[in-house]
Amino acid sequence: MGADLKVIGNADQDAQVECQIRDLTVTFTTDSGEFPALNHVNLDIIKSKITAIVGESGSGKSTLGLAILNGVAFPGKVTEGSVDFAEHGNVLKLRGKALRHFRGPVVGTVFQASQNAMNPLARVGKQILDLGRSHHYKDPRKLLHEAENLARRMAMDPSRVLTAYPHQLSGGMRQRMGIIMALVLKPKVLLLDEPTTALDLLTQSAVLEIIRSIHRERHLTTILITHDMGVVAEISDYIVVMYAGRVVEQGSTHETLRDPRHPYTRAILRAIPRLTGDLNRARPLEGSPPDLTQIPATGCVFRSRCSYRVPQCDLVAPILESVDTGHFVACHQEGLIRD
Amino acid sequence: MATANLPTSHEHIKPWTPPTFWSIAWKALRRKPSRMLGLGILVFYVLMAVFGPMLYPANLPTNPANIYASPSWAHPLGTDFEGTDVLALIVTGSRYVLYSAGLAAFFTVSIGAILGLVSGYFRGWPEAIIMRIADFFLTVPGFPLLVVLSTVWNFGNPVSMGLVLGLTGWAALARAVRSQTLSLRERSFVEAARGLGLSRRQIVFGEVFPNTAPYVAMHFLLAITGSIYLEVGLFFLGVVPFSTNNWGVMLNLAFSQAGAMYSTRALPYLLSPLFCIMSLTFGIVLFLGAVDEVLNPRLRSV
Amino acid sequence: MIEVRKLEKVYPPVVGGLLSHNEVRALRGVSLSISDGGALSIIGESGCGKTTFGRILAGLESYSGGDIAMDGIALNSLPNNERQPYFRRIQLIHQDPYTALNPSHTILHAMAVPLRIQAKLQKKNDDWVLKRSKELLAMVGLDPVGTLYKYPHALSGGQRQRVVIARALTVDPKVLVADEAVSMIDVSMRLSILNLLSDLRVRLGIGIVFITHDVAAARYIAKDGALCVLYRGEVVEYGQTDEIIVRPVHPYTQAMLSAMPVLRGLEEAGPDRYIPLEGMDDFEGEGPGCLFAPRCRHATTLCQEQHPDLVPWDDRLSSSSHHHACFYPIPRNVVARPINRENAL
Repeated sequence: MGADLKVIGNADQDAQVECQIRDLTVTFTTDSGEFPALNHVNLDIIKSKITAIVGESGSGKSTLGLAILNGVAFPGKVTEGSVDFAEHGNVLKLRGKALRHFRGPVVGTVFQASQNAMNPLARVGKQILDLGRSHHYKDPRKLLHEAENLARRMAMDPSRVLTAYPHQLSGGMRQRMGIIMALVLKPKVLLLDEPTTALDLLTQSAVLEIIRSIHRERHLTTILITHDMGVVAEISDYIVVMYAGRVVEQGSTHETLRDPRHPYTRAILRAIPRLTGDLNRARPLEGSPPDLTQIPATGCVFRSRCSYRVPQCDLVAPILESVDTGHFVACHQEGLIRD
Repeated sequence: MATANLPTSHEHIKPWTPPTFWSIAWKALRRKPSRMLGLGILVFYVLMAVFGPMLYPANLPTNPANIYASPSWAHPLGTDFEGTDVLALIVTGSRYVLYSAGLAAFFTVSIGAILGLVSGYFRGWPEAIIMRIADFFLTVPGFPLLVVLSTVWNFGNPVSMGLVLGLTGWAALARAVRSQTLSLRERSFVEAARGLGLSRRQIVFGEVFPNTAPYVAMHFLLAITGSIYLEVGLFFLGVVPFSTNNWGVMLNLAFSQAGAMYSTRALPYLLSPLFCIMSLTFGIVLFLGAVDEVLNPRLRSV
Repeated sequence: MIEVRKLEKVYPPVVGGLLSHNEVRALRGVSLSISDGGALSIIGESGCGKTTFGRILAGLESYSGGDIAMDGIALNSLPNNERQPYFRRIQLIHQDPYTALNPSHTILHAMAVPLRIQAKLQKKNDDWVLKRSKELLAMVGLDPVGTLYKYPHALSGGQRQRVVIARALTVDPKVLVADEAVSMIDVSMRLSILNLLSDLRVRLGIGIVFITHDVAAARYIAKDGALCVLYRGEVVEYGQTDEIIVRPVHPYTQAMLSAMPVLRGLEEAGPDRYIPLEGMDDFEGEGPGCLFAPRCRHATTLCQEQHPDLVPWDDRLSSSSHHHACFYPIPRNVVARPINRENAL
């Protein structure tokens, strides 16, 4: 598989691909054996769009995020595949200096807990200057100016937040500082790993609003990794649903949410309580999220929790196939689910 | 199909019983050959200390005609300045060394763990008092303190030796256990235990202590080696009166009487106790990994 | 029946050091009641006092004023050492199932220790303890034999939270206080934990106090119960759950509800949805007026100067339980509506 792979957003005729992931396989080696955290993942990240990668624990979404940065560390190892960025080639081949100049200036990253990603002993402004220095940024004043502008955009008082130590900021402010630090180097790709998980609903919606408006303004290619369907639905253009290291469904967010085709996507959407509508429609998804050490080697990875299971599912792993323009599903029973 | 009606295999499996402590320990030991070696060394020395002295008369025979003999079939490790068999000295001397070191480690660990748990869990004035005393013992250098103590107190017998070493050695462990307790008491399982009506004693010793146990057990083993060094050092310096034969006394005599530093004749006499001390330490260090695994459920493979 | 009357909690000021702050009023006269087998959801942002409220209810923290009455017995009237058995019947379910179980002990141990205390009180033997452990684990939907001898690290987050709930049941609680009890659990498992809590209400008559910032989960738990919106230690709106969600009158409630993500494709945003960006960090300082006034886009000078009390909303469409603390109660339609489709999930 892989060679003649489709562009996920080919509903858009003029869609350009920023990042092309092919056959990406990441294996974790432990005392009790080798386990695939990612299993032949194929993905196109469309330029200037927000692509959301969604999944539960054990889905491999965070490993995928690390692999995009060529940051998979022991005991994990990329055993197969490539991550090609337009103009930069296969990121997995980058080493040393070239890699450092890829992370940051090309792909800016916001981690799940930005508070832990900052140095607790240095003022935020200084950390931004250090960031510029380590990337040989010529004009520190311009960098600070940029940071100030971004802070103002995010409804923070620059003179206050840039002179503060990380612990003096609230969780929401730290998260926004994390976004600022990812953006000051003006990357063309923004990678957000669970950017709102530790935040309150109100702060979350404000941070999402900020991500949305900056994305529009700068035409950033944004990759959002999250477990929260709500966040995905709020801001993303494309959605990639992952389960047990495989992509099980992908397509435009609107289309996929309106008409989810994979049993897992459907089950997840049904398992989210909503604010209005009939509560009795909500159905829990039985079973536990996948445990990396117990993913079956053959057949469909979701079958143990699937209500559409047929004998074929035990034997053959379904491949991602087009069901509609730009909408792909990996399920043997896709046709039946539809009705 | 006929097979479709067969019960699946897991229905036949007997109800799973939990592994016992000993089966877990044995599994942890078997996982690495080095751990078995460590256990072997420990068992060897413990057997030597318990049963070895029974093989020899209370007063070892001397032979003025055969002093500083080289190793031979009759005297595998040679003889000392009185013509006494060095192997016999090693074996009879091991009991004192292991007994007092074991006691010292026991006192160190009990005092250190209890005071650390109490000061870390209850905070307030108990913490302030205990930690100031601990700071005192940590700042005053241990070995010179023991030397000074030996001038006012004859702690030559193994129980007193263990007690003195324990009383002067608990501070580092108490500090470490306290800081672990400080972080553990903030975990919600401690709060849940309070909410469920567990007594303070149950919370401190039943809930908090097991989480520090791997560290405390390792400290116990390391305290044994530390105590051996200290007591041997005290005897070597000669500040503690010799009441019985032990490895420290041997080192002292090899150095002072036999002039082992200047003469190769007494080399087996000097090296034998040194080798014992080193190999015992080596055995303990090899054994440590198994202890951690046994007491820390998270390290066990399921 | 548990009644909380004018509960106050003041954290003393911390002077000096980097973390110095003024006195913090975490709860400002909160009055609420939980009927036997009833459900109450408390929503608000972090720092609104909802966690403090739950901890005080479970007896894990002291309160500075007000009273708690259990079945008509005012706890203030009891000496300190006699309050504990009452507080024990209100059990807190912690947010993080990963730290709520002791990693050094098996599940059996976690269940047996509190059960032995019960066994002593009720003159039961060790067999009863084992039998009851299995019973309770089965009640929360776990396989007792497979779970009893496991250590917490061998269980998934959802399974751990079930064990935590089973452990809370060992003391026959009247009320479970679930503080963000599903926020750290995988999305696919959340609903089944919520169902378990609802199930316990029905089967055992246990009241549930559900503390969260996730309004949809709050609605799910308290569909037939009450919803309480807390802002900086104050109840700003209270009432029947669906009434608050469909016709919120306090601007803060409206902001909270607006912040719920809209599942575009399945839902469409409410016409009055509004996400405030400004002032989200200004928690410091308080004037004589409404605490929410600095962040409120409808605030007037009256709001700056006078403090609104919690009053019933006398609108002909509202039920008598609906209370609010706003000078200008105007219902706004902010929540998302499901799009009607034939092929709905």
